[in-house]
Formats: sequence, C-alpha cells, structure tokens
Amino acid sequence: MARKDYIPLKSSGPLQRLMKRYYLLTRYHHLWGRPLRRPLAWITSGAPVEILQALGIDSLYPENYGAIYGARRKGGALALAAETKGFSPDLCSYARANLGAIYHPDREPLGGLPRPDLLVISSNICGTVLKWYEALARHYGVPLLIVDTPFVAADDGVSRQHVVAYVRGQLRQLIADLTKITGRPLPMTELERRIKWSNEAVQLWEEIRRLGRNRPAPLNVPDLFIQMAPIVVLRGTPQAVAYYRQLYAEAKERVRQGLGAVPGEKYRLLWDNIAIWHHLYRFFNLFSRRGAAFVVDTYTAGWAGTMAPGDPLESLARTYTEVFLNQSFEFRVRQMIQLIREYKVDGFVMHSNRSCKPYSLIQEEMRRRVMAETGVPGLIVEADMTDERAYAEEPIKNRVEAFLESLEGGGD
Amino acid sequence: MEHGETDGISTLLAAAQRPSAAWPKAYPEIKFFGFFCSYWPEELALSVGWEPLRLLPPLQPGMAARLPAYTCAVGRGCLAQAENGAYRQLAGVGFAHTCDTMQSLFGVWRSLFAGGEALPGDESTFMVVPPANLLAIGAESYYRAELELLWHRLMARAGQKPEEEALRGAIRLANRIRRQVEELERRRAWLPSDLVAALLRAGQLMPRANYDQQLAQALKQLEDYPSSLAGRVPLVLSGSVLEGDGIYRLIEDLGGRVVADDTCTGTRHYLGLVDEEEEPLLALARRHLSRPACPCRHQGLPARLDHLKGLLRQREARGVLLVLRKYCEPHAWDAVPLRDGLRDAGVPALILELDGTAPGEQERTRLQAFLEGLAGGS
Repeated sequence: MARKDYIPLKSSGPLQRLMKRYYLLTRYHHLWGRPLRRPLAWITSGAPVEILQALGIDSLYPENYGAIYGARRKGGALALAAETKGFSPDLCSYARANLGAIYHPDREPLGGLPRPDLLVISSNICGTVLKWYEALARHYGVPLLIVDTPFVAADDGVSRQHVVAYVRGQLRQLIADLTKITGRPLPMTELERRIKWSNEAVQLWEEIRRLGRNRPAPLNVPDLFIQMAPIVVLRGTPQAVAYYRQLYAEAKERVRQGLGAVPGEKYRLLWDNIAIWHHLYRFFNLFSRRGAAFVVDTYTAGWAGTMAPGDPLESLARTYTEVFLNQSFEFRVRQMIQLIREYKVDGFVMHSNRSCKPYSLIQEEMRRRVMAETGVPGLIVEADMTDERAYAEEPIKNRVEAFLESLEGGGD
Repeated sequence: MEHGETDGISTLLAAAQRPSAAWPKAYPEIKFFGFFCSYWPEELALSVGWEPLRLLPPLQPGMAARLPAYTCAVGRGCLAQAENGAYRQLAGVGFAHTCDTMQSLFGVWRSLFAGGEALPGDESTFMVVPPANLLAIGAESYYRAELELLWHRLMARAGQKPEEEALRGAIRLANRIRRQVEELERRRAWLPSDLVAALLRAGQLMPRANYDQQLAQALKQLEDYPSSLAGRVPLVLSGSVLEGDGIYRLIEDLGGRVVADDTCTGTRHYLGLVDEEEEPLLALARRHLSRPACPCRHQGLPARLDHLKGLLRQREARGVLLVLRKYCEPHAWDAVPLRDGLRDAGVPALILELDGTAPGEQERTRLQAFLEGLAGGS
C-alpha cells in the first residue's frame, strides 16, 4: 500500500468521525431540517457561510463533494453523465460531476444529494460558479442568491472603498433575502459568534500549516488536503475549532519529537493548485519515496486568512473579496515567493489543472517569474482535480522522476 | 486607403481583413489602444485621443508559450502575437474582467510587458471590473466609481487631465456609429451574412471617426441591394468572438442567412446607446447594465433565452445556431440551457463547436443537415 511512505496521523480517526457525521446529517437533512425549519443551502466554498449559520440555514458544498467523487474515482463516470446531457468535457469537473450526480443519483457514492432549498454563491473563486449555479437554479427551481465580489486587480491585494461598499451592500441584501426565506431576523450576536469561530478555526489552520516550516515538516501536503475538510464545510462552528486544536497538538508533538511526515526528509517542496484527488497518495508517493516532502502549498492557504477587522459586514465584505483566487497575478507571484522563502523550499510543483482556469492559466508565467526571483526550480504537470480520465500516469511519472533527479543533481 | 477613399464598402472590407496586429505598423502616426472584449468602454480610450483596436487572434493562431493548450483561441492567439512583439507599439491594452481566461491573460500580459521583471509591473495594461451580476444592488454606483478610477488612470498614463467634454465627444461618436449599425441591422436580412459580419468587425479595428464616415458611405451604397431573402433560410447566430468570416460564409454557401447576430464581435458589441444628456460616467455604467448580456454576466436566468427568442420573432428567423469556440467556458455553459429552452419553445437549435475560426467538413455536414431541416419545415 502506498501509504507506507507516511506516518499516519492519530487525528485521522476523529476527522473521519466528524466528517461522517456531517455527511450523514446532510444526506438526511430532509428528515430533520424541515421540521426544525432549517433550510438547506448549496453554497460555494467562498460564500459568506457565517451569515447563513446565524440564520439557522445549513450548508452543503458541492465542491467538497466533487473532491470526494475524485478521491473515490467516480469523477469521470459522473462527469460523463453531464456530458451526455450536452455539457462540454472542457468545463470544470467539480461542476460536471455534481450535475452528473444529480442526473444519476444512483451513481452518487454517498447515496444521493439532498435537494437544496436555495443556492448561495460568491463570484470570488471563479467565473464557473456563476454558470454552474445558474444551471442548478434552473434544475431545482430554487432561489439563487449571488454575492458579486469584484476581482482585486491592484497589486497590493486590497479592495478599494467602492468595492467594499458594493459587496457590503449586497451582504445587506443577502441578509434581507435570507430573512424573508427563513422568516427569522438575523441575530447580530449570533453572527459575531459565528465569525469568531471562523476566525479561531482559520487561525488554528494557519498555525498548523506554519508548523511545516520545521525541518522535518510534521505534515505533508496530501495530509493537509485531507485535513482541510472541516475548514471548508464546518467553518464557523465550534466543532471545527475543537478538531483543529487536536490536530495542532498532534502536529506540534511531532515537531517536538523531530518526527517528519516523510521519513528521511531530503527535499522540501511547495505544491500549487487543487489536489489530484483521484491519485492523491499515488501521485505524492512518487515524491515521498525519494524523500521529497511537500511542506507547504498555495491551495490550503486559501482558508488561512483571518477576518479583516471592522464591523461584521465590512469585515465579511473585505475577507470574502480578498480571497487569494480573486487576487492579481502579481499578488500570487509574491505570495509564492514568500512561501518559498519562509518554508525554505528546494523546488515547487504546479498542477496545471484543466478544470481550474483562474488557478492554472497563469502558472507558466508564474513559474518563470518565481524561478527567476528565487532560483528555485519548478515543474508543471497537467492533470485534472476530479476527472481521472485526464490523468496520464506514465508521462507524469517520467516528468516527476526527471525533476527529482535534477534536484538530486543540485538543480542541473 | 482608409483615409479619404469614398467607396465605403471596399474600404471597410479591406479594414476587416487586416489583422489586429497589422494596424499599429500600418499607421504608426496613430496611437492605438488594444482591447479584448465588448465590455471594455471604448469611449474612455477615445476621450484620451487613443484609437481603440480590438485584439483578435489571427486566423491561424499560434501557441503562446505562456498558456496551456486548453486555453481558448483568443487568449492563445493574442498572447502568442504579443510574445512575438506584435503589440509593443500600442499606447496600452485594456481588459474588462469577464471570464477566467481574461482575468488570467491580464496578469500574464502585464508581466510580459513589464519584461518579466518583478514589481512595479507594467503601467500600460489596464483592468476594469464590471459587475458580474447586473441585477445586484449598488451595481450602478459601483461601476460608475470603477469607470472613474479607470478614466483617471488612462488620463494619467497619457499625461492629460480628465476633460468631460472630451468624454462627451467620444460618447457622441460611439453613439453615431451605434445608430448607423442599427440602420445596417434593418437591412441585414437582404445582405450577405459575411458582408455584414465584416462591416461590423471593421468598426472594432479601424479609427472610429473614419469608420463612422465610411459606414455612412457604405449604407448609401447598400441602398441599391435587392430587398429579398431570395429563398434563404433565416437564422439567428449566437456565440462569442468570431475573428473571421468563415462560419458566415458557410451559412451563405449552404443557403442560410444570418438575420440576427448575437455574437461578441457582431451586433451585440454595438447594442445599447449611451444617454448623451446624463453625466457621462454614469451613462456608460447604465449602458453596461442594460444592454443584452453575454454569458459572463448574470441578468436573471431567462434573460439570454428571452433575448434570443425576441430576435427570432422580430427577424422572423426559423432557427438558432449556437456557435461554441473550443475552451470558451461561459458560452459552453449557456449553450445547453439555450438549446433546450429553444427546443422546448419549438425553435430548432443547433450547437456547433469550432476549434479554429474556419469550420471543417464535419461542421459543414451538421450545419447542412440543420439548414435542410429548417428549409424542409417551411
């Protein structure tokens, strides 16, 4: 089994239980949510979930299910189901797999998705989510609520005042719309409580990630990909805070003992983009068996920024507008250079992900810029996050081996 | 040739055939400002004294070294030209934030023009971010503020101070062109589809005052065209950027006629007048919010379908051809619900995917079958 190259985390058991409970509650939401007058919203990973939580609205993240479909190697079959309805195979595989799961609930690995009462999106992660959720709104005939978060084109990564005012106004409107749907007013103290839990969880998540600066690193990036589930779907809950406290303690203990996630850590690498879910360990083991550990990545860093200060709505407006996928090329180049320096990285690997254009289309120019600035070599491998049909194993293996050999040869 | 010749049609056809990259070299005395998308507010560049030049990929687009193969032809083709130094003479380049590709291309382009150096980046590459949700509360005041910032940055780049009268003059010119396009649209059904496509494309490439004059000439010349469809099958064409006439010519060859053009480089580019009485930046913002949207914008779920059905009724078309460019995600997303919605309304619709701009034999066969079906159903 490929996992022999890793030292498993003790926290994996509690994580499985926590997530199993979430998926079970979500799966059977219609049985308990309706009597309790708790609507179910399907939302994007960049939507301001704290507002929904404060209003007693439960959330399902189709992107998260997309990752599960990939990990279970069901992504291709589900995507194909959407393609037979006419959707292009060039569209995002999370979206195609989600639509396929709706058209063919019998093929959905978790037993079928519960019907949403409403849909909430923020445009901060990509243009796809708008079109994807329009398709969902047509299919289910439920309200689609949009928070339009304009792209931050400025190099400093800070939204201008007219942008913050625009997003803040929409958040007010979102609250008004949700209040109508639930028939309940928004309790501001509950919103503040949810924001506080969100903040605590993302701070812990950032502290866990920062432990990767130790040599050897206590966690490998595939561990972070598995461990990120609560920060995505349980952000704003005390359960996420409690879980990450436990994970932090375990990782910190590894640091104290000098225990690395990859035994005999020789090279320290950075990962850029969403995981290749269908080949997660199989792919990363190509590296770990040669003593190459991924000590940091750009993707899970997306959930590590704390809420901007200020009143709750202003804070939410800034925070959700300034997520890293909504930031300029220059911002992202700087971010990567900073991570390479902070984590003392020897090389970086970019997943050119056919399903995520805002992440992937800039990578070649980023690679050139980052290499020129840091002297650290970078490799690009093309694949897809969820659709295993786009994974060419042998060419990828050859490229990885050549890259590792160049690291071993001192960058020749 | 473009300056002073009175044969409007041949001048415009010659202009339409000239690739984007050839304009700055052919007219070094003119300061061209490149832009990519219909959502770029041309009036702002005009008010600075720059001529807006739509950057279209060449008919045989090269592979840009900095973009993956799964990028659309517009991104790939235009960046490949930029990498080869084709756009060094431009006064600047403007991006409107529409799709993920434009967002990414903006970053890569800016880095490329800064010579691959670290910050501060290139100052001649601009981005404006229009509202994605045209129905959002506050969209109008947000976009007005966004346009004001952009206008000031353009002026600063040109070393000028913002002059409202210059902007009003640019708006009047752009509106005159749009009114003439409305006139051309009234005659479209009688005119060859590829001719109209070329006339409209010329207006996105050549200096605007000259285009305004030549289009007026062309409209006079076109008065002599016979007013008849001559047995052709009337179609609505919808899609994204079409840098050549290939698909229009094929439709004509197969007995069809584009009687309404909902493409990014066709009529949709010109739709909607700017209110000349209103404060200029607010008026520009309002045009953006009210004109028929492309799939990158949200104007409510049925808006695009209703728009196509409206065109079909007004122009008495028999079917809708939805042209998809490979890797153009927003249009690929809309194609399925549009096709299904049209069919549910009893309107024949065909999705045709084009890898390049010129259709191949497979596309020809599918289109032929579609048109024959429409002709047979008359």
